[in-house]
Amino acid sequence: MKQWWWKFLAVGLVLIASIAALRTPLAPAVVHASEGALKPGPNTVTVLGYATRFTQESPRVFVENGGQFIAADQVEVLDDRRITARFLVPEGLREDMSDLLVSTTTQGTMRLFDAFYNPEKGSGALEGVTEGPPRTERTDFAFPNRNILYESIRNLHFHVPMWFTMMLLQTIALVFSISVLGSGNPLHDRGALAAVHVSLLFAGMGLLTGSLWARATWGGWWTSDAKLNGAAVTVLIYLAYLVLRGSVNDPAKRARLAAIYNVFAYVLMLLFIMALPRMTASLHPGSGGNPAFSQYDLDDSLRPVFYAAVLGWMGIGTWLLNLQYRLARIEIAHDHAHHR
Amino acid sequence: MTMRTTVRLFLLLVVLTAPSAAFAQGEPDWLVDTLYGSGKINTVVAVVSVILLGLALWLFRLDRRIARIEQRTK
Repeated sequence: MKQWWWKFLAVGLVLIASIAALRTPLAPAVVHASEGALKPGPNTVTVLGYATRFTQESPRVFVENGGQFIAADQVEVLDDRRITARFLVPEGLREDMSDLLVSTTTQGTMRLFDAFYNPEKGSGALEGVTEGPPRTERTDFAFPNRNILYESIRNLHFHVPMWFTMMLLQTIALVFSISVLGSGNPLHDRGALAAVHVSLLFAGMGLLTGSLWARATWGGWWTSDAKLNGAAVTVLIYLAYLVLRGSVNDPAKRARLAAIYNVFAYVLMLLFIMALPRMTASLHPGSGGNPAFSQYDLDDSLRPVFYAAVLGWMGIGTWLLNLQYRLARIEIAHDHAHHR
Repeated sequence: MTMRTTVRLFLLLVVLTAPSAAFAQGEPDWLVDTLYGSGKINTVVAVVSVILLGLALWLFRLDRRIARIEQRTK
């Protein structure tokens, strides 16, 4: 068989990316504090970590409010994941919310944003504040441990490549359709159909995986998010392409009509998936701006794994299309042989 | 036949993964949110399963189409 290399490459990339996506450890993080509010005076808080090893560290615990730090005067390590800390909170802290910081020697400084509510606001504490912990950067390779996401951040390498692959396949379908408009080649018409078919497989997997992920993080199987509804409308538009084909009997007319519709479908897909979600607030990262330029949504440790997964899945999608296309060619040749 | 089996397998998967909320009754909210299912790793398992089932579904379809051509060429 000719040109196997890219198929091996695609499988290899998906394999490596999937192993990295599942095996890379999560960065240690502070995930919970037992108290919701800190009043002036002594407060005792139990801190819960994830992927931490507090017993091997000598953790120092801080509260930060508006740039002012309060160090815990008593810290007791219960086990690798739990610490009890006592704070003497001064009066007059100026912000509504305080962050909780745990500074360790080997795992860096972990921060739980907006951990405590400050019921009695002032104009800044005058005493009882200290220097903050040193700013430390972790050097080991680990995925970011984000609030709400936790381990499910690994889904990035499975869910998102489905949509990238869908868009690649729909782009190939567009190229086939434009070719049909120029040449009327029935094989290219079948190629466009095959590309739409495979793209719908990936869209379906994207919708289902997204739904599962949304249930675990946003709390619902479906939310009225601009990107979700845009993706659903895109799937409906491409399903309508299949319906349109089914409703025309003359092959030549069907090929031209389907090609024209496909051009419109592609433009609508770009509009609903790429353009509109960026103009509204969305639960998806990168909305209300350009995700390609956002350094906050895609951490450096996620990036290489994600790109390998996207390229690999695109290769798998192209391979599926390649099989469908060759099958269509056999079918056409076979039909010709029988009509003669 | 094969299609029906695939759909049943998928429904089974959904039924198996859905009841995490029911399981967690009596647990404090933060435990459900942060740590239930070992930090939400079960979501990743479900997502990978969906993708594998999707590819299997495609193989079934391809298999049927090839079988059809084989019958016609006989």
